[in-house]
Amino acid sequence: MLRLIGRRLPVVVATLLCVSFLTFMLTSLLPGDPARSILGEQASDEAVAAVREDLHLDDPLPSRYVRWLGDAVQGDLGRSFRTNEPVLDTIAERAPVTLEIGLLATAIALLVAVPLAAISAWRVDSKLDRTIMTATFGMQALPSFVVALGLIVIVAVRLDWLPATGWVRLTDDLGGNLKTAILPALAMAAGECAVFTRIQRADLITTLEQDSITMARSKGISSTRILFRHALRPSMFSLLTVVGVQIGAILSGAVVVETLFALPGVGRLLVDSISQRDLMVVQGLALLVAASFVIVNFLVDIAYGLLDPRVRENGGRRRRGSAYG
Amino acid sequence: MTSSKADTTRRPWRRTRRWSVIVAAALVAAACGSGDDSDESVSSDGAAETIDGDNAEPSSEATTAGNGSDDPARGGSISVGLEAETDSWLPGEGQYSFSGQSVAMAIYDPLLKRDVNGEIRPYLAAGIEVNDDLTEWTLTLRPDVTFHDGTPLNADAVVRMFEDYLSTETSNLGGDGQMGQVDHVEIVDELTVTYVLSEPNAAFSDVLSGPAGYAFSPDAADAAGPDAGAQPVGTGPFVFESWQRDSQLTVVRNEDYWQPGLPYLDSITFRPIPDVESRLQSLIAGDVQVLSSLTADTAARVAELDGVTDHVHIGNSTGGVILNTLNPPFDDVRVRKALAHAVDVDAIIEVSGAAGIVEPATQTYGPSDPYYSTEAAELYPTYDPEQAEEHLAEYVNDPDRSDGKAVGEPVSFRYDCVTDPINREVSQLFQAYWSAVGIDVELREVEQATHIEEARSKDYEAKCYRMGSDDDPYRDLARTFYDSDDPYAYTGFTSDELKSLLDQIRVEPEFEARRELVLETSKIMAEEVPQLVTYNTVSTVTAQDGVSGITDWVFPDGTAGNGAPNTIVMWAFVHTAT
Repeated sequence: MLRLIGRRLPVVVATLLCVSFLTFMLTSLLPGDPARSILGEQASDEAVAAVREDLHLDDPLPSRYVRWLGDAVQGDLGRSFRTNEPVLDTIAERAPVTLEIGLLATAIALLVAVPLAAISAWRVDSKLDRTIMTATFGMQALPSFVVALGLIVIVAVRLDWLPATGWVRLTDDLGGNLKTAILPALAMAAGECAVFTRIQRADLITTLEQDSITMARSKGISSTRILFRHALRPSMFSLLTVVGVQIGAILSGAVVVETLFALPGVGRLLVDSISQRDLMVVQGLALLVAASFVIVNFLVDIAYGLLDPRVRENGGRRRRGSAYG
Repeated sequence: MTSSKADTTRRPWRRTRRWSVIVAAALVAAACGSGDDSDESVSSDGAAETIDGDNAEPSSEATTAGNGSDDPARGGSISVGLEAETDSWLPGEGQYSFSGQSVAMAIYDPLLKRDVNGEIRPYLAAGIEVNDDLTEWTLTLRPDVTFHDGTPLNADAVVRMFEDYLSTETSNLGGDGQMGQVDHVEIVDELTVTYVLSEPNAAFSDVLSGPAGYAFSPDAADAAGPDAGAQPVGTGPFVFESWQRDSQLTVVRNEDYWQPGLPYLDSITFRPIPDVESRLQSLIAGDVQVLSSLTADTAARVAELDGVTDHVHIGNSTGGVILNTLNPPFDDVRVRKALAHAVDVDAIIEVSGAAGIVEPATQTYGPSDPYYSTEAAELYPTYDPEQAEEHLAEYVNDPDRSDGKAVGEPVSFRYDCVTDPINREVSQLFQAYWSAVGIDVELREVEQATHIEEARSKDYEAKCYRMGSDDDPYRDLARTFYDSDDPYAYTGFTSDELKSLLDQIRVEPEFEARRELVLETSKIMAEEVPQLVTYNTVSTVTAQDGVSGITDWVFPDGTAGNGAPNTIVMWAFVHTAT
């Protein structure tokens, strides 16, 4: 296991460096003067010059990057132009909201997807399988904003079961928190659930065709036992990869869902910061998101090793298809 | 004269009540852009009300609210859906959008405020006077007013607000249009201060009706240090309780409010909900009882709702096109007029989803504003393709035409607008109308920052732009049309007559005389057409049945206020049903 980590770590660090440089460049390459963007059209030229100096915008690019990276490594992502708060604090204040709905959504998606996929795979090409596949196909095709608005209109407005918008903090009121979290989580879960089901079904079908399963069947082991004890684990690789990618991509889903449900999360912060030209926050967010993406994928790689001992021994080179083959 | 008199008594909003039945599915359909039927129904109704105005009813309501004879219920709590969050609540630090200014009216009181006729009067202050050369503005304060933290509102507090917060280097109210024009503030006595200006300005009082006039406790701000923006302490009808950024801000009744009997409500929760659709659904679901909307297409949507009252305000800014009058071909008024005559603004309004809510504009001032000029409205070149062709033919066949092209060659120019789906449609519509009269137009999409930079440096020919302002007319006119070199003078247009009018407005303290002068400037704009106007900004406050008093506020002396322009509501006067 240590060998696996040892092989992966340098790649992770190199990727993070690339990401940080691209993030930094991203804001430098935007059209227009960032200082003017920040201050707006009515600001005086002196004020613009002051901001340029404050941001070291007149320094050469490499020295600006080194300065910024040095600060970022020490946890200093600068201060927001909008609120004058440290960027890291601003993000930390909102991260729990996004994490909560993101993880809740992934959990809901997995809870629904795994059994659905198992049923589908066990009865391939049956009516039930086709129904499940059609339904997931439809769910996958629906953009999350349509799902979100549908949920708001039906569950919040017509049935009046849950609030349409708003957020209650977990620390303030657990029940109230769940009430405000459930619709956004469902809106995010719908698409994920569809993807998970389809991928898991495909892998399960491959596994179920293998000799070991035929052997198990011939021994008279019950269907449920075969499905969940023998077939599920070797069919988890693709799902694990996709779940990893999805967790890394929580933010992209959060941008839409948090705006629609008026949640004070990181996705909303990103949208507001972009529209209000809060350069420092955009930069900090892009860096953190990219970094979390890289780290989640690193963890997924390690999880492969836990699922399949041969991955550990190969030092991270997994041979798909040969597993149990 | 009669017509302008009528204008001044007209209130700048209208009230509508509709009982149409809608289903949720229809709302989703409308969100996708298909709302023809609904637009039509608003059209017949809304247009009529805008033109007729509404003189008696709202002011009588205002009086009843003021007298309390109608006995609005005390108590109750409401949630208010806003368009946007505010970054900081400390004046000088916070960028107060209209949404932010509305919240501020719960926590703070403005020193001065506009009345029903558009005139500025003391609200929190007891009085304001100016010396003859318009350089010294003396403000009197009311005795026994304290901030929520117990600090008395006195001359010392006003000076500290000015010196330590509003006029500092980092203050966003430190510019020349705001507190930057104040040289210093002098204490006259315990309750009197004098703002000494570096130059005469007859419209300085306008500044004190905005964020620069929101009285906040300097003691509390000192104590909170960098967190002052998140812990506002004012003199207002409600006391700040809690704020979770981008989620909600809660205020509770100020038991020691200086206006006896006010406020009515126990608490208000302000909730920024950025998405239009969710905001509407939150109102329908009852998550919020009051909703503010700042766009015409949202105004059209809320007009469809059942069981609510809409308070619509037509503002003093418009969308439109700025023309660079310093360069050919727009240095020639014939081309500018042709451009205006060529476009059917009704179609622009239709494309923008604002049909039935607004009428084509002829000037930046809204039709019910005291500064609205009926003469300018008649002079402004409206849709008439034949006249457009005539003006163009005159220019094109002029051997001395300013663009130096050969006689008969068509006029050509580039039109820039910011990337945005609606902007794109509107730009294409403009292009179609201009092409129809024989003008070659090249469309170009630009990023916002570049757009502004090009306008400031006058590195453009024609651009889509928002023009006008709800501030005192002088502030906007002076920076836009006085000095062609001013970066803010995007069109570069000015004239001796215009300059002389602006010079007079600058030193004219009398409201009625100022108004006459402003009307003259609007006539010049309509004749010279340095910019094309499409339609005025629309704001709507929608209140669920049972929530009243949105526009019924009065000054402490009983004078009716100016309602809820740009969704800025005086929350002290809002109450639930009796």
